[in-house]
Amino acid sequence: MGENTPFDEMYNADGSVREPYRALSEWLAEQPEKGLALMQADAEAIFRKLGITFAVYGSEEGTEKVIPFDVIPRIIAANEWRKLSRGIEQRVKALNAFLYDIYHRQEILKAGRIPEKLILNNAAFCPQMMGLEPARGVYAHIIGVDIVRVGPDEFYVLEDNLRTPSGVSYMLEDREAMMMLAPDLFQRSKVAPVETYPENLRRTLESVAPAGAGRNPVIAVLTPGIYNSAYFEHSFLADQMGAQLCEGQDLFVDGGKVYMRTTTGPERVDVIYRRIDDDYLDPLTFRPDSMLGVPGIFDAYRAGNVTLVNAPGTGIADDKAVYTYVPEIIEFYLGEKALLNNVPTYNCTDVDQRAWVLENIAELVVKEVHGSGGYGMMVGPTSTKAQHEEFRKKIIARPDNYIVQPTLSLSTCPTHINNDVAPRHVDLRPYVLVGDEVRITPGGLTRVALKKGSLVVNSSQGGGTKDTWVLED
Amino acid sequence: MRIAIDHRLSLTLPEGTGQAVFHLLLTPPSGPTQTVESWSVEGPGIGNAGRFTDGFGNAAHLVNQLRPEGEITIHVRGEVTTRDTHGVLGRPSGEPVPALYRRFTAAAKAPEALYEPFRHSKDNRLSICHALMARVGEELGLPEEPKVPRQMQADGGQTQVQDTGEASEQRPAAADYAHLFIGAARALDIPARYVVGYRVADGEDGLHAWAEAFDEGLGWVGFDPHAQICPTDRYVRLAIGLDAETAPTLRTVPVAEVEQVAKVSAV
Repeated sequence: MGENTPFDEMYNADGSVREPYRALSEWLAEQPEKGLALMQADAEAIFRKLGITFAVYGSEEGTEKVIPFDVIPRIIAANEWRKLSRGIEQRVKALNAFLYDIYHRQEILKAGRIPEKLILNNAAFCPQMMGLEPARGVYAHIIGVDIVRVGPDEFYVLEDNLRTPSGVSYMLEDREAMMMLAPDLFQRSKVAPVETYPENLRRTLESVAPAGAGRNPVIAVLTPGIYNSAYFEHSFLADQMGAQLCEGQDLFVDGGKVYMRTTTGPERVDVIYRRIDDDYLDPLTFRPDSMLGVPGIFDAYRAGNVTLVNAPGTGIADDKAVYTYVPEIIEFYLGEKALLNNVPTYNCTDVDQRAWVLENIAELVVKEVHGSGGYGMMVGPTSTKAQHEEFRKKIIARPDNYIVQPTLSLSTCPTHINNDVAPRHVDLRPYVLVGDEVRITPGGLTRVALKKGSLVVNSSQGGGTKDTWVLED
Repeated sequence: MRIAIDHRLSLTLPEGTGQAVFHLLLTPPSGPTQTVESWSVEGPGIGNAGRFTDGFGNAAHLVNQLRPEGEITIHVRGEVTTRDTHGVLGRPSGEPVPALYRRFTAAAKAPEALYEPFRHSKDNRLSICHALMARVGEELGLPEEPKVPRQMQADGGQTQVQDTGEASEQRPAAADYAHLFIGAARALDIPARYVVGYRVADGEDGLHAWAEAFDEGLGWVGFDPHAQICPTDRYVRLAIGLDAETAPTLRTVPVAEVEQVAKVSAV
């Protein structure tokens, strides 16, 4: 970690090409001059046509942007993926077991493995969830695990994202676009499919329908509406899996059950894939001022008449302060050592650690405990002295509001930049579905920091995406 | 003691309300201190209600009503047999772990000065809770001593309790006492929870609120800092929560002010 030369996924230190990238390297060499630039222009057109846009909060230009797509795929070898997916599966199983425990007997707290106050006084802990028996004992059904690679065999989990992770539509569209742009490249490699995601999502959702829902449970995707930055994804996923896209006002409770207004009258809904945050989900139980949610939906859930996906209160398992305990959580529930590394995290409420952090802030990454999307964070090595000072003050003022980690030297991948190919830092968000079984889509979303040297890959901060290939044996 | 309860709740929703949704905590549990002999909840939409157990173990109703008009009344009636256990409830089944009730909430807060003197106390938890109850009483005002005219007392018999209604209205609500007690107990690492229920109060409103604190030995023990006693057989527990916000007898969307009064008497 933190070595000066980042690990490049395509080239070895001696300049030779790593095995998984061999076919890509040959293909790149064959491309005519400006071939990639033309492809890049085609990609823009494809994405505009598909209507894939996202909103950037606080940006002055129009709210809708096309997320930059890089035409050079990122490639993961079959054996690398096997190892990664075993680690991911272990993690999501342990985190669901943790959620079950926290909302029932709280054995892990009684055993003193995690400080009780960290859980019970956490804003992400949802007391209303106590004692509820979710279908198949699953709380987090749809998970996006943020992973970075720092060496040939070294991966770190940055965040688990158990609330309403987004971006899966980019994974699907990136693949679709890539197949249109470079069909010949797909013929040279055996790439594991990602197109099965919507079908697997549907299966997962059906498998957690409440008892008595019948053979073909009715599924709805609940969106906050067209102004949400991920609205495109909500409608895309509903469309892809043949589910109804609903806003709060399209659903209502009657007799403790949830119904959808349709042109042919009310239709009972069994499973709701909700993309509305806990706080706004139900004004009767959570924030009374919410106009986005469905009044009574949480009570209907407690009554066992509908399944909410993900369950409210899953945020307690991906809280940044709880994150440091994930290896402990895996050991406690599965009796296994964690297969994937956690990034070492400094606790600023500890006087000694804080002093060390303030001293070395220029080398560190500072994140807000409840922040996301790259907002409210600072990467020491790429920030100014004034920014270092600003974050020193912030940490001193509210030490519990920040976690601090070493700056990881994220791996780089060849990226098309100004008609040339240059290494850029990437991360990886594989998407995991948990229901009757754990289904992990091979690959995931690769985000790439398009600015040279930048380590911030968030689309809201100038990041792009790449198609991610997992090679089959 | 057998107690009869007649509890009416009424509210008027904003005009033009399309769909109203109610969350009711109006069904008391049977347990070590009470047995529910009969109970009924009547109101629009009750027959079609969703019934479930909430996160705190309360029996709840989810009621919805299309285009409600005028005043809505919910009428709760029943009889409960109670036992005096000196406030001890024990460990009823079906409840969440007591540790849950160490969670701090915005409604149940206490100033440091109130609980700090007990921080290093060597007394047992029960004694600390009794002392806390007394402190909360001093802080918010003690119940007035029944004023007994001396002459009449000297005459023997015929003691008359003066109407203290006016004076007691000056005191903060029972919920404030409970919240202060709960906040202080939690600050001392003692799980404490909010109880809404009924109390035999001839002539007065019988709706009441108090607190319960958890003792490793006895389990849950009730404390009524408003009355400065542990609940007796004159008390009926209705619902529990972290604070008044999580244990409302009736919560509605759209939000409306609920007026309620309970006639509670021994039979």
